[in-house]
Amino acid sequence: MIKDYLKLFLLILVITAQAPLDLVIDTNERDVEIQPGISGTKIVLFGAIPSGKRDIIIEVVGPPKNQAMQEKRRYFGFWLGRGKSYYKNVPSYYNLLSSKPLDEITTQEGLNKLGLGIERLPLGKADIKYSTTKQFKFDQRLRSEMFKNGLFIEKEENIILRSGPGKVGLFKTEFSLPPNSLQGKYFVRYFLFQNGDAISYAEGIIDLKQAGFARLIWIFANKFALLYGIIAIILSGLLGWVVSLIFSRYKLT
Amino acid sequence: MELYLPIAEITINPSIFLILGMSVGILSGMFGVGGGFLMTPLLVLLGIPPAVAVASEANHIVGSSLSGTIGHLKRKAVDIKLGNLLLTGGIIGSFLGIGIFNSLIKIGLVDLLITFTYFLFLTGVGSFMLYESLDSLGYLKKKKRKKTYHHSWIMGLPFRMRFKKSGLYISIIPPLLVGFIVGILASIMGVGGGFIMIPAMIYIIRMPTSVVIGTSLYQIIFVTAIVTLLHAFHNQTVDIILALILLLGGAIGAQIGVKLSGKLEGPYLRVALGVLVLSVGIVMASDLLIKPEETITLIRGGGSH
Repeated sequence: MIKDYLKLFLLILVITAQAPLDLVIDTNERDVEIQPGISGTKIVLFGAIPSGKRDIIIEVVGPPKNQAMQEKRRYFGFWLGRGKSYYKNVPSYYNLLSSKPLDEITTQEGLNKLGLGIERLPLGKADIKYSTTKQFKFDQRLRSEMFKNGLFIEKEENIILRSGPGKVGLFKTEFSLPPNSLQGKYFVRYFLFQNGDAISYAEGIIDLKQAGFARLIWIFANKFALLYGIIAIILSGLLGWVVSLIFSRYKLT
Repeated sequence: MELYLPIAEITINPSIFLILGMSVGILSGMFGVGGGFLMTPLLVLLGIPPAVAVASEANHIVGSSLSGTIGHLKRKAVDIKLGNLLLTGGIIGSFLGIGIFNSLIKIGLVDLLITFTYFLFLTGVGSFMLYESLDSLGYLKKKKRKKTYHHSWIMGLPFRMRFKKSGLYISIIPPLLVGFIVGILASIMGVGGGFIMIPAMIYIIRMPTSVVIGTSLYQIIFVTAIVTLLHAFHNQTVDIILALILLLGGAIGAQIGVKLSGKLEGPYLRVALGVLVLSVGIVMASDLLIKPEETITLIRGGGSH
């Protein structure tokens, strides 16, 4: 934490020396390693903006993932999952952070123009052969399921603005990436608003890498599939055998 | 405590899965079923993607059925000769079943098929076993007792062989055929097929109940090993961590189950298994008949491969 503030302080020194002032950003980590089993990875975003009546919206978009949806329909009295549709390149994570309620920062039109918010997030290509209304229904359901699973987040007023030295304003926000986050590049987009208009834009990238044992297993399962299968069988058999050995040793059966 | 599953890509509480593995393991050791027909739906319920649940479950059964088989071997309750015969049919059947499975994936009918086979076999096999065992216990009043009913055409088939452990002198064709059909069904449903195999062994091959369980478990080891390998190779859906957690509980449970099975008499054992199979079938049926809260849902783990 001390390191973060030190970095920020240096950043401010650099900024104050410069003119004109614009949006300056930094994150606490650029390459983030996620450890399996922990409750999430905390990411801190901070930076400097010119002071005054300004607001900031930050959008974090995770790496794309293919997602399947299905519709259950009634056939001869049975509810069966047919009508599958595959979405290509759905953002695996989306988080919209803002310094104020969105409608106080800008208009609906302003949000539409920049595509900000879960409702306006493009869901990638879907191979749905249905009507537009049905497509809309599928899209809405996908959004709400992702929201329910905590993968699409939209919380207002979670960016803290403070006035810094001179004509500098500081912003800081933090959020947690879920432990099962997809590894890859997370795009962080910063929008600076003044009087309802976006006046400045910056972009940062967080590269999330899954670390440790779980990642190794995943690589092994995908790169050496046959060998992985054989080892899985041997391990399973061995464990079963050892347990039965222990049981007979202590005359439990 | 939390644990991240590398293939299922979710974080779980291992103790829940350990207990789950153990409970299904007890049933496995008791009845000679792998327990896949119970475990797979439960895993999906706990948030494991269905494809991963099916494949990891197969991997788990390899170990739990091995543990159970060793237990039954000690009690000399495994007919290896007959088991090998069933297995031969089973392996041929499972390859054919996977062929059918893959061609159904192409035309998008696989879910429909899986749900229906589960539903039909669980309710069918369950109610038949329950009826038969209650009948043999004398709980059902029937005018005509078919106690001495024999499949005469089965008895008359050629290529007879002696099976000492089972005390049978029968044609090798029925065991091969039973193995074959169960192999097809098992690979479609992604289970070891014990709950179909056991009734077939009792009612078609007429093996004594005491040998049935061990022999069934014995052949399940090999069938599930093949299924694991095929899933690992083609779909990369075997979660080794998940399988080992389930197994740790399962292998212990299987040993307890073996001990319990020696204490229960044949017909009572069949009543219990019948009730179990039937209730899983009914739960599945209600899932099919009751209107879901949301008709459009996200398929977990779907589309990522």
